[in-house]
Amino acid sequence: MNFINKFCRPIVLSIITLLSLIPFYILLLLAFSPASRNFSNGLNLMPQLYFNNFIEAWNKSQIGLAIFNSLVITIGAVVVIVIFASSAGYAIARFKNKVNIAIFNILLVCMMIPGIINTVPLYALMNKIGGINTYWAMILVCSCNALPFSVFLYTSFIRSMSKEIEEAAIIDGCTKFSAFWRVTFPLLKPVTSAVVIINGLGVWNNYAQAVFFIQSQSMRTIPLAISMFFQQYGAKWNLMAASAVIGVAPAIITFVVFQKYFIKGITAGGVKG
Amino acid sequence: MKCKKLSLLITALLIGSTFAGCGTKPVATPAVKKDPVKISFFTGKVETVDLVNDMIKQFNAENPGIIVEQEFQKDASNVIKVKFASGAIPDITTVVSQDYVDQGKYVDLSNESAWWSRVQPSIKEMCTDVKTGKQYEIASNMTMAGLYYNKKIFSDLGLKEAKTWDEFNNNLMTIKDKKPEVIPMFVGGKEPWMLGHLVEFMAHGVIKQKYGATETKKAMLANDDSKLQFAAEGGPMDTFAKKILELKDAGLLNKDFLTATYDNQLEAFATGKAAIISQGMWALSGISDKNKDFKDIGFSPYPSIVDGTKPVILSAEDSVYAITTASTHKVEAKKFLDFMFKAENLKKYSEATKSPSAFIDVKADWGILKDEVTKALTNGVNIGFTSGPSGFSGDDAGRMIQELYAGKYKTSLDFAKAYKATWDKAWSATNK
Amino acid sequence: MAIVKYSIPKLKRKKINLLNFLSLNLHKFMAVPALILFSVFFIYPLLNGIGLSLTDYNGISKPNFVGIKNFIDFFKDDRARNDVVNTVFFALACAPLLNIFGLIYALILDREFKGKSLVRAVVYLPAVISPLIMGYIWYFILQPDKGFLFSITKALGFTISNSNWLADRYMSLWVLVLVNVWQYVGMTMIIYLAGLQSIPVEVNEASKIDGAGYFQNLWYITLPLMIHPMKINIITNIIGSLSVFEIIVALTDGGPGYSTESLSIYIMRMCYGSFTGYSTAIAVILFFIILIPVLISFKIMKAREFEV
Repeated sequence: MNFINKFCRPIVLSIITLLSLIPFYILLLLAFSPASRNFSNGLNLMPQLYFNNFIEAWNKSQIGLAIFNSLVITIGAVVVIVIFASSAGYAIARFKNKVNIAIFNILLVCMMIPGIINTVPLYALMNKIGGINTYWAMILVCSCNALPFSVFLYTSFIRSMSKEIEEAAIIDGCTKFSAFWRVTFPLLKPVTSAVVIINGLGVWNNYAQAVFFIQSQSMRTIPLAISMFFQQYGAKWNLMAASAVIGVAPAIITFVVFQKYFIKGITAGGVKG
Repeated sequence: MKCKKLSLLITALLIGSTFAGCGTKPVATPAVKKDPVKISFFTGKVETVDLVNDMIKQFNAENPGIIVEQEFQKDASNVIKVKFASGAIPDITTVVSQDYVDQGKYVDLSNESAWWSRVQPSIKEMCTDVKTGKQYEIASNMTMAGLYYNKKIFSDLGLKEAKTWDEFNNNLMTIKDKKPEVIPMFVGGKEPWMLGHLVEFMAHGVIKQKYGATETKKAMLANDDSKLQFAAEGGPMDTFAKKILELKDAGLLNKDFLTATYDNQLEAFATGKAAIISQGMWALSGISDKNKDFKDIGFSPYPSIVDGTKPVILSAEDSVYAITTASTHKVEAKKFLDFMFKAENLKKYSEATKSPSAFIDVKADWGILKDEVTKALTNGVNIGFTSGPSGFSGDDAGRMIQELYAGKYKTSLDFAKAYKATWDKAWSATNK
Repeated sequence: MAIVKYSIPKLKRKKINLLNFLSLNLHKFMAVPALILFSVFFIYPLLNGIGLSLTDYNGISKPNFVGIKNFIDFFKDDRARNDVVNTVFFALACAPLLNIFGLIYALILDREFKGKSLVRAVVYLPAVISPLIMGYIWYFILQPDKGFLFSITKALGFTISNSNWLADRYMSLWVLVLVNVWQYVGMTMIIYLAGLQSIPVEVNEASKIDGAGYFQNLWYITLPLMIHPMKINIITNIIGSLSVFEIIVALTDGGPGYSTESLSIYIMRMCYGSFTGYSTAIAVILFFIILIPVLISFKIMKAREFEV
């Protein structure tokens, strides 16, 4: 076992790490190379530090505006999800009445429904209420899609928490409602961070809904902007890579910074239920 | 008590946010004359995005009360359907389909004599709706499509432009034998629209030359099988499929047929690695981007695929514009089109896109192929694009060709039958 | 004593006060906001969509009721059958691979070592990127002849014959499976890691004392305790891989021809292609295709589940 530990494990770990990183490296390589560089011969894999791609990609794809739009929608959606899903999770975990159980089951079943079945009627509905090309509509639609899984996570986690904390708060004079917000919710940090990261990433990367509900150029989110960029400059790999790097960087940075909380949350919510 | 205040606050937040989503329509700003009018210009032409943006900048500067905004979508013909269905309809669109003409979605432009008097009559005819005889779109340019060929390779091997399929086959075989490092014909099979074009020009060309442009359009819109003969043995589709497979089996096409892109194709041709490609004038700027010095380019019509028929060359309207009836700024939209149709702007456009202008008074030096194209237009029957059902696009036809190439159909007749079945199904969906 | 003391103030404040009522009963309604949101933006369109599936709506003219005609057409449709085969194959290939590799990775990482959180983060990183962008990157690597993979192998001296993987009907599906597994193995791994960490140390020590070797420990002790994480993983994998869309569009666009077209892509294309009613019918069928394996997995795993 020692042999395995000392030699095989590090080697295997290195292989795994490299395997996961290769496409990122290639993306960076492409983004930092000028258009004239030819990759079809030789092992020249060293990156040059050519920043013009980024400047050109930034201007042409208007990705600055897209980042702003994506931020507004993602933050909005995450706030809505956390508030709604944690409330629902608390209700379902603590107060087992028919209505709550029904809600839980409906949400679970709806998790399996492919998003596409909703799209056309949802589009018609949005049109009627004037939601196309608005922030609030996109926020609500994305929150909706994220609800089932988030409620599931919150419910599992809250179920595994003892009721004593809330009971203590109630004795101190809180209602069951405020007991949740004052006492339980702060303890939900791990699950909340998992929900925030998983859904935040999902909304940030959302393409299937954005492509329908965001029509105007000024409201474009990052996946739309990058996709447009790809379609227009399809063959210019260096520009495409640069725009992809810009679009992907915020998500990666957020993840790397918060990964410890995220993993605690998944552990807590996903497994203990 | 702290708990109570907090719970009230949160209650309000929850209830408020629940109802926030329902029905807050954006407040309509009253139409103040000082507010600039916004015109949306919708296009699917990737080659002209930057050029049109420049022109828009100029127009916006000259017309302070109007702001034009261009929206480019690669999948424009599908996206426009979503836009029409959602009510987010652009003011000007370059994507026009028969279904929407029938529904009156475009403004009747027939009375714009200031424009039509300057447009070539053949183009005006192409812009005419066969059902009503009116014009709902106007084209600023023409485009041609045919076979580009490398003149040097041809002269080295003593080849001439092929008129019949046998001549064409022989040309390709000669190239393959004498110059094995060159790909005789390079097809960018990854992108279905290019294969769809081959169908529209070579296969449908048989029908179009027999009945003429207007009658063919009518036959296609009415799905007149007696004229179209899609599933017939020896008919246009069967023959076309057979020919493609023959080329494939003889090794006359590029091996990466199914994964080669438009860009790959232009690159191969521009660097002399491919002898012949099927493309339109729109590809010229791409080719010269790849190799500025490559000027020895020949252009010929497509050879006939059925014995006894003539070679065909696409000569059709390009860069069409339509104003939507849903537009609330039709006057300003027309003003923008007036600007685009100024002779000096048309000249700029024509030279940038390397395609001839449809307007008689525009003398543009639109490209190195001017003479080649003029010659080719006389050597082949001029045909137009195909008016297929909206549920069966060029892309869909192209995908069927990919399947054909990948060996899905046992015989070319199977392909022909499948083609007709798909066409019929799509046609019945919109013609009930 | 305490109870009497606190109930007196409540009796004194016994005004039937709306505020009081709300604050005492609000907890019962806490799931309602979520329900309202969900009903408006999901359930209502869903029912509408199911209704549309019974019509011949083409996006332009008024829809007419045609009953189950769309569903019957689906079973006659060659392309639909092709897509079902593609989609099911994709799921059948992805789900086991994702779980096997996820579990293996988790077992390898289930030890404290320097850089553990780094490796963990790196393996999960691909899942953070949109599958659309991931598909474009992999297309660049796997492009025949010009792709990165091939230029590197060429430079290293050996050529992979028949490099046109993306043009082959069967290879292209496998390529998609591998890329998808590569991207999401981090997700399954994290869940398995969490499961492994929740096994008390005593259990493993007890089995060691009893003389169990590594693999015996794995098979008889660890794996049975992994049923719950396995359940979560398999269900998420089934749902995700049966609705696969973006990665295929980016890498092969359903091609060549229709050999990698998935049901989700078909639905999208039919919707645009004036077969809107038909496309919602296909979506309904897709739902059942997802539902059935999920229910079966549930049943199988419930039978074998046990907690520590």
